[in-house]
Amino acid sequence: MYELLWSGIVDVFQLKYMLPLVIGTVVGVVGGALPGVTITMTIIIVLPFTFGLDPLQGLAAMTGVYVGGSAGGLVTATLLGIPGTPSSVATTFDGFPMAKKGDAGRALWLGVWGSFFGGMIGGVFLIAATGPLANFAIAFGPWEFFSLFVLALSMVAGLVGRSLLKGFLSGAIGLIVTVLGNDPMMGQPRLTFGIGFLEGGVPFLPVLIGVFAFAQIMSDVEKMGGARTLAGSIDRATKLTVSHLKVIWEVLSKPFLLLWASFIGVVIGVLPAVGGSAANMMAYDQAKKFSRHPERFGTGTSEGIVASESANNANVGGSLVTIMAFGIPGDAVTAVMLGALTIHGIQSGPLFISQNPQIAYGIFAAYLLAHPIMALVIAIGARFMLRVVTVPKAALFPVVLVLCVIGAYALSNTMSSVYILLIFGLLGYAMVKLKLPLAPLILGVILGDQIETNLIRAIMTDSDLWQFVVRPISGVLLAMSVGSVILALWQHRRHRQRVGDDDSPDF
Amino acid sequence: MIGRDGITGLVALAASLVLFWLTLGLEKNPLVPIGPGFYPQIVLGFTALLGLALVAQDLLGRRKAPAVPEAPKAAPGGKLNYTLVALTFAVFGAYVLLLPLAGYRVATFLFVLGCSFLLEPPRRAGLWVRGGVLAAITTVVTYYVFEQYLAVLLPRGTWTGF
Repeated sequence: MYELLWSGIVDVFQLKYMLPLVIGTVVGVVGGALPGVTITMTIIIVLPFTFGLDPLQGLAAMTGVYVGGSAGGLVTATLLGIPGTPSSVATTFDGFPMAKKGDAGRALWLGVWGSFFGGMIGGVFLIAATGPLANFAIAFGPWEFFSLFVLALSMVAGLVGRSLLKGFLSGAIGLIVTVLGNDPMMGQPRLTFGIGFLEGGVPFLPVLIGVFAFAQIMSDVEKMGGARTLAGSIDRATKLTVSHLKVIWEVLSKPFLLLWASFIGVVIGVLPAVGGSAANMMAYDQAKKFSRHPERFGTGTSEGIVASESANNANVGGSLVTIMAFGIPGDAVTAVMLGALTIHGIQSGPLFISQNPQIAYGIFAAYLLAHPIMALVIAIGARFMLRVVTVPKAALFPVVLVLCVIGAYALSNTMSSVYILLIFGLLGYAMVKLKLPLAPLILGVILGDQIETNLIRAIMTDSDLWQFVVRPISGVLLAMSVGSVILALWQHRRHRQRVGDDDSPDF
Repeated sequence: MIGRDGITGLVALAASLVLFWLTLGLEKNPLVPIGPGFYPQIVLGFTALLGLALVAQDLLGRRKAPAVPEAPKAAPGGKLNYTLVALTFAVFGAYVLLLPLAGYRVATFLFVLGCSFLLEPPRRAGLWVRGGVLAAITTVVTYYVFEQYLAVLLPRGTWTGF
C-alpha cells in the first residue's frame, strides 16, 4: 500500500498532474470564499474543463476544488463574518469575534491549520479504510448491493431535510428518472413518450448540474436587489500576519479536540449526502460540550474555530471513502467526481482500487498534497479573495450558466443533455420552493439503475425474496435501513417539538 | 383547504398513477420473466403511496393546527423577486433554443449580455461597457479553451454556419 501511495505522490508531482491540482485548489479556495457559491457549484463549473484531460488530471483538479473549497469558506467567515460555504458556518461563531478583537490573522490561520490537520487525519482514514472496505464489498452479491443502495437512499431521505416523507418523495422522483428509457436487462423501451433521446435513459450529470446550479442561482436571483454589498464590510488595513509556529502549536496543543472533531467529520463524510455543513456544526457543538470553558464559545475562542474547520476538511476524506469503496457518492461534490469517472469509462465501486490502482492512489496523493497547497494559496491570496467576493452576481451568474451548458453539452456533444439541464433546472428550483430536499433526488438518479439491476439479478438467481433478509450482510443492511428510518422519524419529531418549522431551503 | 404540501402530494400521486398505468402496457420478454415493468411499478407504487401520505399529513396537520393564513416569507432585504426568476429562466430557455440555430458564439454572446443586463439593468455607461466586455470575454475565452485546448466541439448554428 505504501509503495503504491509513494508512487501516487511521485506521479502527482509531475507537472501535468500538479498543474490541474494547483489550479483546482485555487479555484476551490476562491469558490469557497465567495458567499453564495457552494463547493458543489464550483465543482460543476470545473467539470467541463476536465473532459479533455486524462482521468487522473481531472480527478486531481476536482480533489483540489473539494479540499480548497472546504477551507476557502473560512476566509470570509473569519474576516467578514459571512460563511463562504455552509461548511464554515460554525467557524463564523468564533472566527469573526476573534477578528473583531484585532486578532484577524490568528483567527484566519487557526482555521487554515485546523483545516490542514483535520484534512490530514481524514486522509489517514481515507487511505487506511478504503482498501479493506472495498475488499469487504467485493464479496457482495446482488442481494447485498441492493440492500446497501436501499440503506444509502433511506439514510439520505431520512437525514437530509426536515420531513421524512419529503425526503423519500425526493428519492422516489430520482428513481422514477432512472426508469425512463430502455430497461437495463433487455434494452426494451419503456416510458419514452416517443422522445428519441430518452431511449438511452436520462444521464445523471445534466440532472445534477441542472438541479444544483439552478436551485442555488435562482434562490440568489429571487433575492437580488435587496442584498447588501460586501464591499463596505472589508477592512483593507486588517493585518493577517501571524507566527505560524505559535498558531500550529495552538492547534496541536488540543489533540483530543482535533481528533474528536476530525472523527466526527470523517463519520459524517462516510454517511451519504450529510456533508460538511452538518459536520462543522456537530463538531462545534461537541467542542462546546467537552470544553472546560463553554461560556467562551461565541466570543472568539480558538477551540470553536479548530473544531469547525478540522471537522469540515476531515469530512472530505470520509466522503471520498464511500465513493471509492462502494461507488456511493457521499455528497453532491463526490457525485460530480463519480460522473467524471463515468465519462472516462471508469467503473466506480469495490473493484475500482484493484482495477485502477494508479488513479486510486493518485487521488489519495492529490488529496494529501492539496492541503499544503490550500494553505499556500490562502497565505498568498487571502487579501485578494476579499476583493473577489465583491464580484457582482449579475456578472457571475451568466458565466456560471454558460459553463453549466458546456458541461452538459460536452457529455454527448448533443443538445439533448442541454434540454435535460433546463428541465431539471426548473425541477430543482421548484423542489426548493416546495421544500423537497435535493440530495435524495440525486442519489436516486445515481443509484436507480444499480438498484434495479441488482434486484432483477437477485430475483432471477433465486426467486425467494426472503434471501434479502436471511443473507447475513443483506439482512443487517436492511435492518439498518429500517433503523435509520426509525431514527429519522424520532429526530424529526424532536426537532419539530423544539423549533417548529423553519424556512431555509434544503440543498 | 389543501396546502402546498398537499398539492405536491397530489401531483406526485397523479403523475405516478399515470406512469404506473403506462407500464401496464409493457410487454414481457420471454427471456426475462420479470419484465420491464416490474421495477418501475414498485417505484411508482411507492411514489403514489408517498404522495397519498403527504396529502393526508397536510390535511391532518391543518385540522390540528388553528387556521392561520400562510404569510409569504420574504428575504431579509425585502420581497422575493419571482418575476426576475421567471425572466432569468426565460432568457436561459431562449439561449438553449438559440444555440443550435445561431451557434455557440453568437448565442453565448447574446445570452451573457442579456442575462447580465437583466440581473443588473445598465443605468450608467459603465454597466453597458461591463456587460459588453463580459459577454465578449466569456464567449472568446470559453470558445478557445474548450474548442482549441480541451477538444470539446461546441454547437454550430444552422442559421450562421459557425
